[in-house]
Amino acid sequence: MPILDQGYQHWNGRLGARAPRWWAITRQGVKVQLKNRWVVMTLVGALIPALGLVAFLALWGLFEQKSAILTPLLFLFQNLPEELRAGPKGYRSAVWTISFSTFLEFQIFASMMLTLLVGPDLISQDLRFNALPLYFSKPLRRVDYFIGKLGIIAAFLLAVTLAPAVLAYVVGLGFSLDPATLRDTWRVLAASTAFSLIVAASAGLLMLAFSSLSRNSRHVTALWVGLWMVGNVASGAMMATPQRAWAPLLSYTSNLGNVRDALFGVDAEWEKLSRLFRAGREIAQSNAPPFGPFRRRAVQSSFDEDQPSSNPFSLSKPSWPWAAGVLAGLGAVSVVILSTRVRSLDRLK
Amino acid sequence: MLIELENVTKTYGAVTALAGLTASLPEGAVGLLGPNGAGKTTMIRSLLGLIAVDDGRGRVMGMDILAEPLEIRRKAGFAPEDECLFPGLTGVRFVAYAGELVGMPPRDALQRAHEVLDYVELGEARYRRVESYSTGMKQRLKIASAIVHDPNLLILDEPTNGMDPAGREEILELCRDLSRAKGMNLLISSHLLPDVEAVCEHVVVLGGGKVLAAGRIDELKRAHDRQYELRTRGDQRRFAELLTQRGATAEPVNDHLLIELPEGATVAMLWELADSNDEQIRSLRPRRSTLEEVFLRSLTLAEPN
Repeated sequence: MPILDQGYQHWNGRLGARAPRWWAITRQGVKVQLKNRWVVMTLVGALIPALGLVAFLALWGLFEQKSAILTPLLFLFQNLPEELRAGPKGYRSAVWTISFSTFLEFQIFASMMLTLLVGPDLISQDLRFNALPLYFSKPLRRVDYFIGKLGIIAAFLLAVTLAPAVLAYVVGLGFSLDPATLRDTWRVLAASTAFSLIVAASAGLLMLAFSSLSRNSRHVTALWVGLWMVGNVASGAMMATPQRAWAPLLSYTSNLGNVRDALFGVDAEWEKLSRLFRAGREIAQSNAPPFGPFRRRAVQSSFDEDQPSSNPFSLSKPSWPWAAGVLAGLGAVSVVILSTRVRSLDRLK
Repeated sequence: MLIELENVTKTYGAVTALAGLTASLPEGAVGLLGPNGAGKTTMIRSLLGLIAVDDGRGRVMGMDILAEPLEIRRKAGFAPEDECLFPGLTGVRFVAYAGELVGMPPRDALQRAHEVLDYVELGEARYRRVESYSTGMKQRLKIASAIVHDPNLLILDEPTNGMDPAGREEILELCRDLSRAKGMNLLISSHLLPDVEAVCEHVVVLGGGKVLAAGRIDELKRAHDRQYELRTRGDQRRFAELLTQRGATAEPVNDHLLIELPEGATVAMLWELADSNDEQIRSLRPRRSTLEEVFLRSLTLAEPN
């Protein structure tokens, strides 16, 4: 026996009970995924719309204050209706709602891409390498395992939805310099938070369910692409049929969009803006609004005055509870698949 | 007692894996012996609270297996039988991750991972991805990840399965050191008797979901009252005949005779017989059971008539 035994030493540390049990799985999974350059590139790319949102809210804040900083950019606002230019604060809620809603529309694509990159390996590789006995021999329950894995996807999705939305909201508040902004726009923050959580939970659960169906990550990727792309194509094809009103239900992303519009109350805010532009129709027709949605809305309003819905992005669609029902159904199926495919060790070998 | 089980029953449909199992396992190194299907793995899983038992109760390190399964798993280390890996990790990340899952702070887990990998002699391979490890290395990796948090009890399910003799000896040496030099309680499940004999002081023989025999190995391998192994210089066959005439049984085994003396006779009878027949006794020793005999006898006794 050696004089100085450098072999096994006892550990005198303390096992922590502070962090929840699933946290170690999420932490490890995020660290592993951040080594994938495609994930990092997608993550960075997905933050570009957030920069646009932040810039727009800063601009709007300065516009509300009629800041002198905007003097070089006044031409951007010349064609807006007089009422809007005179009292922009009255339309703060509508502008913020539409801005955040549009931002999250972009982020659905980023979320689908990130889920595609992060998710396929999560359970399929554990099944392939028989990691479940190792997990369950630790002080973990099955639900801790699921939450830990879901947390990995959620971390990335919330990083491109909730985190930039909250950041943009804070920046918007800062530039508005008006305590009433919080009162006018709290619903935007609440809707952004709720929608981000819905996307993370829904996409995360679905991807985990897909990942548990195969030990081959490529098959899982194919399933996800099928849900996303094929669903959209099928929805588009159904638009040419008499049942087109139900077509968006076939598209996973359309269902998410439908729920988002309901959470933000986008249609009502569009209606408010459209009334403003209708009132100044003559002006709007001769001097079309200078940017984005306003221009499109102005053009559309000149053609579709009698249309009840004013949201230029909204197609004919079923009411949001149907979309929420589809998402909830997919979530329920995912839970059933997970509980069937990821079994405990309470079974005969 | 380290582990106490009382009337534990577990069934899977028509299959009874544990049939009213009652056992008390002391501290130290305990071997869990039994043929395939004896209920060893089910017993281990019930100890760790990984399965819901149908009936009975038990305590591991003083903790209730029904009420405190997660606490038991925090205090115990377990290396499952099957080949199982956390994919995509290097050896050191693998072990550190196992530590974090038990609740170790990440920095402690990483430092400790390096230490235990050195201990199980995987230090050179610590930065290799675990998928590229050999069977023996994976087995040692599992042990490293089971001891990373310095558990009070280490449970190894068939730790030498599929290993070559050299690798097997290394694992057994590791187990011996953990048990004898480091004071860790061990429960080793195996169907390989020499493995259990090499490491453990106690053994529990399982069969049909019940305890067939249990106790200290040296006591189970007790000397038989009237049986001796004897070797003579001259004609052993003739000496065997003489013994038979005196009412003993004598059976040639390899280079010696296996003798059972008649009721009431003592070993002096052998010396007298040798002396009176001008025979030299070169070796005489009381016969002891081997663990294999204990095992087989237990199984035989348990078989229904």
